[in-house]
Amino acid sequence: MSDGALLRTERLTCDFGALRAVNRVSLDVRAGTLHSVIGPNGSGKTTLFNLMCGEIVPTDGRVYFEGRDVTGLPSHRLTHLGLARSFQRTNVFGKLTAYENVWAAAFARRTPGALGFLRRASEFSEVDEEARRILGEVGLAHKLTARAETLSHGQQRALEVGVTLASSPRLLLLDEPTQGLAPEATQQMTRLVQSLVGRYTILLIEHKMRIVMSISDRISVMAFGELIAEGTPDEVRENRDVQRAYLGARR
Amino acid sequence: MTRGALLRFGLLLAAIVALPLAVRPVVASEIWIFAIAGMALNLIFGYTGMLSFGQATFFGLAAYTAGLMMIHWHAPLLVVLAAGTVVGALAAAAIGYVCIQRVGTYFIMLTFGFNQMFFFIAYKWTAVTGGDDGLPGIPPLALGPLAIRLDSSLRYYVFVAAVFLLAFYAMKRIVDSPLGVIFQSIRENPGRAAAVGYDVKRYKWIAFTIAGGFTGFAGVLYSMMFGIVPLESISWIISGDIVFMVLIGGIGNLYGPLLGAAAFKWLSEAISVVWERWPLILGVALVLVVLFLRGGLVEAFRRLRDALGPRARPEPGAKLPVGIAAETEAGS
Repeated sequence: MSDGALLRTERLTCDFGALRAVNRVSLDVRAGTLHSVIGPNGSGKTTLFNLMCGEIVPTDGRVYFEGRDVTGLPSHRLTHLGLARSFQRTNVFGKLTAYENVWAAAFARRTPGALGFLRRASEFSEVDEEARRILGEVGLAHKLTARAETLSHGQQRALEVGVTLASSPRLLLLDEPTQGLAPEATQQMTRLVQSLVGRYTILLIEHKMRIVMSISDRISVMAFGELIAEGTPDEVRENRDVQRAYLGARR
Repeated sequence: MTRGALLRFGLLLAAIVALPLAVRPVVASEIWIFAIAGMALNLIFGYTGMLSFGQATFFGLAAYTAGLMMIHWHAPLLVVLAAGTVVGALAAAAIGYVCIQRVGTYFIMLTFGFNQMFFFIAYKWTAVTGGDDGLPGIPPLALGPLAIRLDSSLRYYVFVAAVFLLAFYAMKRIVDSPLGVIFQSIRENPGRAAAVGYDVKRYKWIAFTIAGGFTGFAGVLYSMMFGIVPLESISWIISGDIVFMVLIGGIGNLYGPLLGAAAFKWLSEAISVVWERWPLILGVALVLVVLFLRGGLVEAFRRLRDALGPRARPEPGAKLPVGIAAETEAGS
């Protein structure tokens, strides 16, 4: 496990009743890379994420984070180990302000002992600074006091990423951050994701092939719950199986 | 403190002074006692999103504990108050641990089921609780080494008002602490709260336990008021009344339960004199609130204020402590 794999799955499998959503997926995400997972709708990408994040317990197989077996750990424990995810469908705290959304996530990683709860929330200046810095980074500095539910779709997607960043993860799992975005907002989001490269190890699920091909270090391709190919963008583009299963369908 | 917060607190103090002039001191005391129980329910319902229909369990257990301690041991008032709070919190820790394993309707039914269970025990265990007749014989109250007598209902009101302010301050510190944000994040989206790193069940349990302590505190004050612990104090009717008060006042706001308790107790006092079927009017009031005024009386005041003048917005870039009023442009 000394080969730099921050996250490793071994023959990860998940059944929903008779349906095998994820079938024996073994995957290494190397530290410092941007690794994308692509595949047609329903190929099991999001389920794979849910398995990695502890939201679903796998039927079979293991998940290792930094060499440690984390299979079946609940998601709140994984966050404290340094693994955080964004959601495909925006999943924030609707009635809280943008600031409180990010604050809640930033505070979670810094939870003090019981005595810390005697202080007022506004007295945690390092959490305050972190929340403001992140909101600035995702382009919401002007929306601190807006309730999350009143933000536009694009702003909510940005907040979604901001809440995830506030967990100060070492591995960032981004589930289709550009989902449903207009072209201009898609560009902004792509720039945001690119700006995160280097600071975080990123595992990205993305549908828009142009983005994936331009920013990924490695790409894994899924179809029908299985990993059918893995490699650099060029290798994946040349791969016959991939063309048949995925790209071919579009020509 | 901001100007708005100062104004609200000033109004609260004025209400405390004025209330015994407007209603009988006994009713005035009841208002602040139930305001404490309402604040407790508001913490778990309004802030954390769990509707408990069994708060009388903790109210009643603490009331009986207090009554028994005073009758059999002549325990001092403040000791009794502390003991009732601890009993309420411990009972809520035990019962809450089971209830929070479920959510939604099942959670509500579990809290209700435990309430019925303890009601039945109190009803049948007449040797200890007096059953249907209640637990009589609580000696006259005296406060502290100076033995300040609390034998008149007005003196008792002053005592209740003082400890209410303490409870209110404690509750304010709780919702201003990080717990306030954590509880609300759980209410809004438990799945995401877990994903950002909170152990949701643990924090729900903490909220439920704290609320049990506050409810127990209120139950002790209630038991001292009439020299008897009525069986009613542990019945589901009290649980329901507390839910009504919080709904009428407005949930998720520190002042809502206070307004709700005042409106509920004042209405029942004023109308029951004229018409013995007063619960009917309360029922209608509740239906109207749920249909047209989801934010309760707090929302009514907010609409009134917005109608009377434009409200000041926080300046962009100003220091924004957590829990600041959110912009409300989109019909919230």
